[in-house]
Amino acid sequence: MAKALEGVRVIDLTVWFQGPVSAQYLADFGAEVIKVERPQGGDQGRGVRSIKSLEIGDWNQYFLVINRNKKGIAVDLKKPEGQEILYRLVEKSDVFLSNLAPEMLDGWNLSYDKLSAINPRLVYATNTGYGRFSKLTKPSFDMTVQALTGIMARLGEPGQPPIYLGMGSGDAYGGVMSALGIVLALYECRRTGKGQSIDASLYGAQLYLAAQHLQAYLAGNMDSALQHSRRQVENPLWNLYPTTGKWVYLCEPNEDERFAALCRALGQPAVLAERRFADAARRRQDNEALVAAIEAETLKHGHEELMAAFRGAGLVASPVNNFADVVRDEQAWQNRYFMKTYCEEVRREVDIRGLPVTLSKTPGEVHCLGPQLGQDTELLLMDLLGYEWEQIEDLKAKGAIP
Amino acid sequence: MGRVLDDVTVLDLTRQFCTALSAAFLGDFGARVIRLDLLPAPPAGTSGRWNHEADLIHRNKLSVAINPSSPRGRGVLAALLAKADVIVTDWQRNELAAIGLDYASASQVRPDIVFARLSGFGPAGPDQDLPAIDELAAARTGAMPMLPQPGQPPVYTGAGAMHATGQLAFGVVTALLHRMTSGEGQQVDVSLFGANMYGSALDMQAFLAIGHGDRLLNPISRLDVSNPMSGSVYMSADGRWVTLTMPDTDRWWPAFSGIVGIASDDARFDTHDKRTAVNRLALIGELEERFRAQSAHHWRRLFQEKQLSADIIEQFDYPANDPGACANRYILELDHPSFGKVRTLGFPIWVSDSPARLERLAPCVGQHTDQVLHELLGYSRQSIHELADAGVLA
Repeated sequence: MAKALEGVRVIDLTVWFQGPVSAQYLADFGAEVIKVERPQGGDQGRGVRSIKSLEIGDWNQYFLVINRNKKGIAVDLKKPEGQEILYRLVEKSDVFLSNLAPEMLDGWNLSYDKLSAINPRLVYATNTGYGRFSKLTKPSFDMTVQALTGIMARLGEPGQPPIYLGMGSGDAYGGVMSALGIVLALYECRRTGKGQSIDASLYGAQLYLAAQHLQAYLAGNMDSALQHSRRQVENPLWNLYPTTGKWVYLCEPNEDERFAALCRALGQPAVLAERRFADAARRRQDNEALVAAIEAETLKHGHEELMAAFRGAGLVASPVNNFADVVRDEQAWQNRYFMKTYCEEVRREVDIRGLPVTLSKTPGEVHCLGPQLGQDTELLLMDLLGYEWEQIEDLKAKGAIP
Repeated sequence: MGRVLDDVTVLDLTRQFCTALSAAFLGDFGARVIRLDLLPAPPAGTSGRWNHEADLIHRNKLSVAINPSSPRGRGVLAALLAKADVIVTDWQRNELAAIGLDYASASQVRPDIVFARLSGFGPAGPDQDLPAIDELAAARTGAMPMLPQPGQPPVYTGAGAMHATGQLAFGVVTALLHRMTSGEGQQVDVSLFGANMYGSALDMQAFLAIGHGDRLLNPISRLDVSNPMSGSVYMSADGRWVTLTMPDTDRWWPAFSGIVGIASDDARFDTHDKRTAVNRLALIGELEERFRAQSAHHWRRLFQEKQLSADIIEQFDYPANDPGACANRYILELDHPSFGKVRTLGFPIWVSDSPARLERLAPCVGQHTDQVLHELLGYSRQSIHELADAGVLA
């Protein structure tokens, strides 16, 4: 089958999560992504097992999944000979992507000016912490940047600690924004023949992630910055309710007919028939009492029983699943949001996150997990970059490649 | 300065925030986005306040108001379709079929159309036609129970829908790249279900790989985190929260231990293994006490001075007043014709030679009907008036 990004070659000089996952989007759709790593240890993401910030199984799913479909070369970019290898690669590539600090790239003679002089068609993409025009200079990781955006502080019940959106949540969003910037610049390049520089920062991406609530705040709605209780939602028909088992998320508009359906599903309890809940305005007015009254009823049931009653009444709702439920969810497998692929590290098929963007005629694919450190170095130097074997021996002797 | 997508015409048939914003994003980068406001239009709000949401999610769009229930209205829709390169929609398939804008019908008029649709749960499988409601998808995706502190209700973040915004635009531009070389259009599907999975990417992938584990199914107390120096939050003396991300603790410990006043060679914590395993809870306890002794301001100053990966958890007043947010155009200041100087959310991506632009605020319903029909579709003024008189247009 055709691949949407066939013929696009990407130099992927990234570490940890945002940069690698950004290049993963491109690799899944057929771009030839060459991951460039330092010879000593490579991408720090290879070492997560010892870090203990994240649960790791018997294979390094952190590194291997986001670096899937990529080739790997190891080059010491601190050495001029190593930089020379990268320059040759730039001549033959469409995209250069890095989430290393721009100052570090400049220090290695890998600035935009330098690389675009070699290849004016090059799309040069950086993933910074705070944006190319910020004066803030300090290390930036997903959560410390998420902390500044205001997203965390508005989640959770009032008085509770702020809520982190999940391990790697900001990187994941910065990653898709970076991929989006790259394909935009590729589109422009195909029309004009000119490359350019793009940046997708963790901060910028996550401010956009906050769009709905941040925009309200900017317009003067100070309340949108604060935590809100589920006991005080404006529409009690669109809310989380506890059962004796899992929580259930009920998603219905505040309309008389929908409220009647809810009352039916809950067995017409007298408390819900009270006048104070008789129309939409009153339900909004007496929302706290209504949430409490509904909750008192839902707590009499298990989630399966409650969901059956909701379905019977035609109500839109879902149990609040955990990961053990979702990994068994047929809907996820049939849409290839989950896939199976072979893992060298443990020599068996493993389950991986699949393809969240479905293109009907050029679907994404997963043909291999992340590369071994430098596995394609010699081959790419010879076949793609035209080095002779003696030169390769020489580069090894100088420590430019392992 | 170029505009990346100025050869692309997009039809926007959306109801939801996340999809309307995705279409606006294409407009930010130069696409001609025509919003289809179908008649009869819902009553316009007249609160007298700034409709800040519309000016975000419908910026850079034109509005055409059409009644699709008459044959002549359908004729105008077909004429628009013939000029379109992309459709962005979040409508259900049966609703689209009813007005002739499902993929089968649209691709007959424009075989090379890029047809981008937000679904609830993906284009295949038994639940492919469930409604596209982010809360439903988030509830089903598995992350909600583990986000809060133990004993607290599950947390809905809304991040899944915003992932869909980015993924849908990525799918569109990727499909346009393919069309450029092959001439072939196609369907792009992004679901709230799949988007939520990418929002909680790492934890979900960990569970897929491991297949069990209480720490991936249940909330973890902030006083029981796996690594006291990473992913942890501590309260400062003035009641604000401090967060740390220093996963490889060997690298950070010398500087970090100094600012919290623990001797770097303290025998309880002098290796990564002691800090994250043997004496993990003791270190959390120490940090809890030490962070509580000083103000947030104090901690931020030291984090900056020592270049540590740590910060204060802020509310929206921080980005709203951050010069860096403006310098990067993540937040814009603009002169609103009705409300004067206001600030609005800007652009998440910087593109050097063809940057995103804010050319116009949200259109009124039907504001560009005449213009689009006349200039783009070649309708005469006379026939536009007739269609308007017949209630086909507004």
